[in-house]
Amino acid sequence: MNESTGWLLDIYAEEDGATLWLLTDGDQRLRLRMDFDITFYAAGDFPLLRQAWKYLRGKNVRLERTVRRDLFLGERDVMAVTTPDPANIQKLFGDLQRQFPALDYYDADIPITLRFIAQTDMHLLGRCRVHLGDERVQFIEPLSAPWEIDPSPIPLRILTLAPDCNPAVRNPQKLLVKYNQREYSLSLESPRSFLISLKADLQRIDPDLILTDYGDTWLFPQLSTWSKETGIEFRPNREEGRQVMMRKADSYFAYGQVTYRGAQAHLFGRWHIDRKNAMSFGEYGLEGAMEQARVTGIGVQEMARKSPGAGITAMQMLTALRNNIMVPVQKQQVEGTKTLSELIRADHGGLIYQPLIGLHGNVAQIDFSSMYPAIMVKHNISPETVGVEDASEGLIPKTLRPLLEKRLRLKNILIDLDPRDCRVEILKARASALKWLLVVCFGYLGYKNARFGKIESHEAVTAMSRELMLQAKEVAEDMGFTVLHMYVDCLFVQQDGFHKSSDFTPLINAIEEKTGIPIALEGVFKWVAFLASKRDARVPVPNQYFGAFQDGSLKYRGIELRRRDTTLWVRKTQLKALEILAHANSPREFAGRVPDVMRLVEGAKRDLRIGRVPLGELLIRQRLSRTLEAYKTPSPAARAARQLQVHGRQFAPGQSLEFLFAHNESGVHAWELEEALDSRKLDTKRYYRLLDRAIQTIVDPVRSHMFSERLF
Amino acid sequence: MGRTLVTITQLLTETEANLSAFRRTLRRSDQYIFDGLFAAARRHIAAIGQAESLLPFETALLAMLLEQAKEITVLQQELDELKKRHE
Repeated sequence: MNESTGWLLDIYAEEDGATLWLLTDGDQRLRLRMDFDITFYAAGDFPLLRQAWKYLRGKNVRLERTVRRDLFLGERDVMAVTTPDPANIQKLFGDLQRQFPALDYYDADIPITLRFIAQTDMHLLGRCRVHLGDERVQFIEPLSAPWEIDPSPIPLRILTLAPDCNPAVRNPQKLLVKYNQREYSLSLESPRSFLISLKADLQRIDPDLILTDYGDTWLFPQLSTWSKETGIEFRPNREEGRQVMMRKADSYFAYGQVTYRGAQAHLFGRWHIDRKNAMSFGEYGLEGAMEQARVTGIGVQEMARKSPGAGITAMQMLTALRNNIMVPVQKQQVEGTKTLSELIRADHGGLIYQPLIGLHGNVAQIDFSSMYPAIMVKHNISPETVGVEDASEGLIPKTLRPLLEKRLRLKNILIDLDPRDCRVEILKARASALKWLLVVCFGYLGYKNARFGKIESHEAVTAMSRELMLQAKEVAEDMGFTVLHMYVDCLFVQQDGFHKSSDFTPLINAIEEKTGIPIALEGVFKWVAFLASKRDARVPVPNQYFGAFQDGSLKYRGIELRRRDTTLWVRKTQLKALEILAHANSPREFAGRVPDVMRLVEGAKRDLRIGRVPLGELLIRQRLSRTLEAYKTPSPAARAARQLQVHGRQFAPGQSLEFLFAHNESGVHAWELEEALDSRKLDTKRYYRLLDRAIQTIVDPVRSHMFSERLF
Repeated sequence: MGRTLVTITQLLTETEANLSAFRRTLRRSDQYIFDGLFAAARRHIAAIGQAESLLPFETALLAMLLEQAKEITVLQQELDELKKRHE
């Protein structure tokens, strides 16, 4: 028997078990085979189960009658179906389900990585010692835990490939290759010589990760086409017998809009991540994706492309597997019946206060840290525990507790580190990756397709959050503070004579003691402005504010600067104006800076008038809300689309396009038109209006500071 | 998202829309005061929601009264101060 130690890179199913890839301490990449049985369960009417039993008897499975736990129904008599062939489980289960659709199925669609992790106590990218015998893994011993704060870094070989332009717009001429500190480019002129060079590079470097731009949507499909055309075999997998696994593109509806996800190219034995097709990659990068893989058990390639929701679902499945709870294939819980008054009581979101309009000095913002997950853990809120007294720790709190603790520990380390420390970026990425898992967990309690969701548990969390916010408000008011604004999990408070961070420490301690949920000072604003509705200056708008902290840094929410449909020129000028105002140390000084802002605006308008503003900074981006024919009075976007339609472009509702405001028949000029707009034709007045509006937003609060806003 | 009931914000907007004929018939100067009543209610959306009333507009009326009472208190204080200064 021999042994190896290293990091676990990848796991996938085979017809006779599983393949593991190990990056050893000796810098080898080992492909290991392992026997791996998979069990799933069926429950239901006994006569039906007997028929299913007969149906399965001739197949490559072991059958057993046993008792297993359903999270909601408790112990159930089930038929356990065990197969030594993980590669064909989908087919086996699919056939069975078609024959016997009335049975309840459990554990049938759990990814093999999760089963492996639950069984071996390993985790992806974790350290382990593997004992081999007869060329197969006999025993695997974990040497690390996913909750370690400082995991030993994996010496990954990363090869970066990127075309010299966006292939959707133009045909790339070169592929830029980067490995370690070396950078060079491969010409795409002759597919034959390109394939030969790339193949040689792959063999020489043997990368663990191929990081691409447009790899999913362009490079890998293109490589396969060229390989067929030239007859040169090209297999980018480390597992040589396998083809690249391509997944089709799809559009899906989420958060009120249609999102497009390009095709995906997955590799075996090494990873491929397309930076341009990875959902949250921009947010936390490779370090974040690896952190999520470590804690969720979903492979890095998958996790980089999936939503955090898939990650949290995987973690819940892991908790279930480890606690011998069966994972239902279909969600079974529906909303319980309620009377109207019960519904009125339950159907609320977080507490959103209307702020006191105007400019306020020395205001502290305090935030509950990870409020919703903290509530779920502290108050044991889980779909199976809601409404049950003295329930033992539920599935959701059990899943979240270590995640929440790890994020808090990372955050505390970050607070103590010097911002220039080289570890800061990595730790931030990892903390942010964990944050996203925590954020979506709450939504998944109420999501109609979530495996372990139940709307009542969702409602219990928001009800508790409103209660805690009111407790916090009462504590603050008891201590003499004015609560200016409250928004879901943060409060803005003020008191005469309180301006240093330490002045607010007793309040923070008191709130934490009362609520039992950690709370932290986000910062003390020198001044902060809460905005009024543009329609009626007497009506406050929640979560629209801007302010300057004592260190001069700005914070703004809900103003033009944060909106994606604001042109870059307006955004830039508004930010510059805020930077001028940030020099003010009090609401009084704020008013004194307004003339400087007005000078800035005049300068910006002059630049626009004399053509010093690049047209690219003036683009307006709007979405089409319907088909072009359906517009009675076409919006600017629709008019721009019509200009392009003349040239054969097609548009569907939901697509967005860019244009400039211009002095011509339609008042707009589509950016994609062949001929560029003559800058003298630019509708400068229209842009002045946009800028004036944005500037008005930030200077208006001066008015309400001087005459407090009267209702009548 | 995913809510079954209308929110208080929606409810106030709808009620205001239902009263548009009433508002239109008022004099322009009264219209401004009328809008102020709804602005007063909107300052207390969170509290109206928390009241969990079957008829939330009743609570909205209370919010309007509250702002009026507040206005009266402020005016009274100002009056008292002015009186003191003249005595």
